[in-house]
Amino acid sequence: MASREVNRREFLAAAAGAGLAALLPMRAFAQSKTLVAATFPGTWSEAHRNLLAPYFKKRTGASVTQSIQLATDQLAKLAAAKGGRPPFDVAILDEPQVFDGANQGLLEEYPVAKSPNYKDLFPAYQDKWGPKISLQVIGIGYNPNKIKTPPKSYDDLLNPAYKGRVGLTALNSQLGMAFLAELNRIKGGNESNFDPAFAALRAMLPNVGSVAANLGSYATLWQQEQVDIAPYNFNFVQTLKAKGVPVEFVVPETGLVGWTTSLHITKNAVEPDLAVAYIDSHLAADMQSEMEKPPYDIIPTNSKVPLAGAITHTVARTPADLAKIRGFDWTKINPQRTALIERFNRDIKL
Amino acid sequence: MKRTHDEWPLALPLAALFVVCFFAPFVVLVAMSLHADAQMQTWSIAQYVKFFGDAFNLGILASTVWLAVKATLVCLLFGYPIAWVASRAPARWQSVLVFIVVLPILTSVVVRTFAWIVILGREGILNDTLRLLRIVDQPVPLLFTETGVIAVLAQVQMPLMVLPLLATLTRIDPNLADASSALGAGAWRTFLRVTLPLSAPGLVAGCILVFSACATAFVTQTLIGGARLIYMPLHIYQQAVGANNWPFAAAISVVFTLAVMVVIYALNRAGRTSKAYAHG
Repeated sequence: MASREVNRREFLAAAAGAGLAALLPMRAFAQSKTLVAATFPGTWSEAHRNLLAPYFKKRTGASVTQSIQLATDQLAKLAAAKGGRPPFDVAILDEPQVFDGANQGLLEEYPVAKSPNYKDLFPAYQDKWGPKISLQVIGIGYNPNKIKTPPKSYDDLLNPAYKGRVGLTALNSQLGMAFLAELNRIKGGNESNFDPAFAALRAMLPNVGSVAANLGSYATLWQQEQVDIAPYNFNFVQTLKAKGVPVEFVVPETGLVGWTTSLHITKNAVEPDLAVAYIDSHLAADMQSEMEKPPYDIIPTNSKVPLAGAITHTVARTPADLAKIRGFDWTKINPQRTALIERFNRDIKL
Repeated sequence: MKRTHDEWPLALPLAALFVVCFFAPFVVLVAMSLHADAQMQTWSIAQYVKFFGDAFNLGILASTVWLAVKATLVCLLFGYPIAWVASRAPARWQSVLVFIVVLPILTSVVVRTFAWIVILGREGILNDTLRLLRIVDQPVPLLFTETGVIAVLAQVQMPLMVLPLLATLTRIDPNLADASSALGAGAWRTFLRVTLPLSAPGLVAGCILVFSACATAFVTQTLIGGARLIYMPLHIYQQAVGANNWPFAAAISVVFTLAVMVVIYALNRAGRTSKAYAHG
């Protein structure tokens, strides 16, 4: 026969080639450029997919692949890939993780000169490691169908009437960690003494029906009315509410606690220029105005975006109010993270 | 048929994959676990001393193994009859049964597990039904309990039990059971002395697969069990990612891997003994 037969050696080589190709990352073959951006589960992934990605595509022509994970997971993956190509180009971190990420050399300094919208940010939200894109605040979320009198303070989580209906999240989420720190402060502790928080937590345990190990499943627990009252993020409540889930947010008597959330270019990012364009898009006044609308109600950091909507009813009327929202000294809390997680596990284990 | 011994190179691609993707990372893991500090500067066995010196860690290891044992037993209890019925069924019904058994693995484990949250929740389908039938007044806690985790694991891993069992059961010569009853043995006696020992290879294979899958089922354990039921996979995840303590996480992983291997070895031994009994 004239037609050439494939000999064994060629077949094996082709098969091995195909096998190896399957192991390579897909984006090596992508036609147009693709940016891989990390995002948080819930409000953030939705806002980024529905608003930011189309805006960015219009601006650059490139598309975005989302990688949904918590800040701690992102740092772990970046640390594991250190020296090589990071698994994503843009990281989204909460305030405590920025210190860790910068100290471990996992982040690139933000090229301010390439980012036209950066100068419009309030000075407090400018940071050489990456601009702050919002402020996240926590208070109490509750199900108004089940709990007729709105809760007033975190002490309501100890009310025996709510036996089995209080929810918590593990300390790998910033929500869990910030709640612990706030509970500690209210009960008389400080950054170097967490005993009061753990005493309060133990007292709360009979009421606690669910401790979500995964923040992504926390929303489902509200939807399923497994959790009726719990510490929760303002934005997450707004997003769930918009989906028809019976949940309301209240500011406890002790006030709001918050932390900044920021975007960063990862060290050795595959697409550093696209990463800047993506982050800069998030800073743009028109983008932040869109994100401020329901169902996201993301607090803006751009000085040209006036506060509006649900934010002004619940969180802050003016930028000055925002500045008053209490934070924590994360440089003091971060080194204790391991010990706190361990102590939390031992105290809550069934 | 001439049996040659030069076919072994065919195993090379898999062996190479195994070396690159399992053996090499495992060596790295062991090396990591032998460091005293999170920066991995000093070599020591401190992490292992820490693990075995703390009842909290040992408790987690024991409860993980125990959880997997219980889930495996549930799979066996429900899976064996299904496999037996399927092995006796006409070919067309057999494929229908196999399809039903395989159905759970056609959906992603995450989707399946979220569906179970809807079923097991306080206001879930199961509790609603129980209350409707007036069996209970107050919702029974199922989500975030070990009972819930076992039920979900059993459902999710059932195919791993049924398929190997079905393979061995269909290969058993039906004449053997007839011979047994012709010689005066009752149905139970025939089952216990003939069918069960002959199906041992499938049974052991099924138990090994289900046990190892249940012990390491991170998604199901954390979504259904929550953070208060700490099993080894969540413990490893929290130490590695939450606490950034890689050497300790590596040490726990090594201990866990060895513990699972010990159980698998024991199951294999038990399988061989019963096979010897069946053929002896």
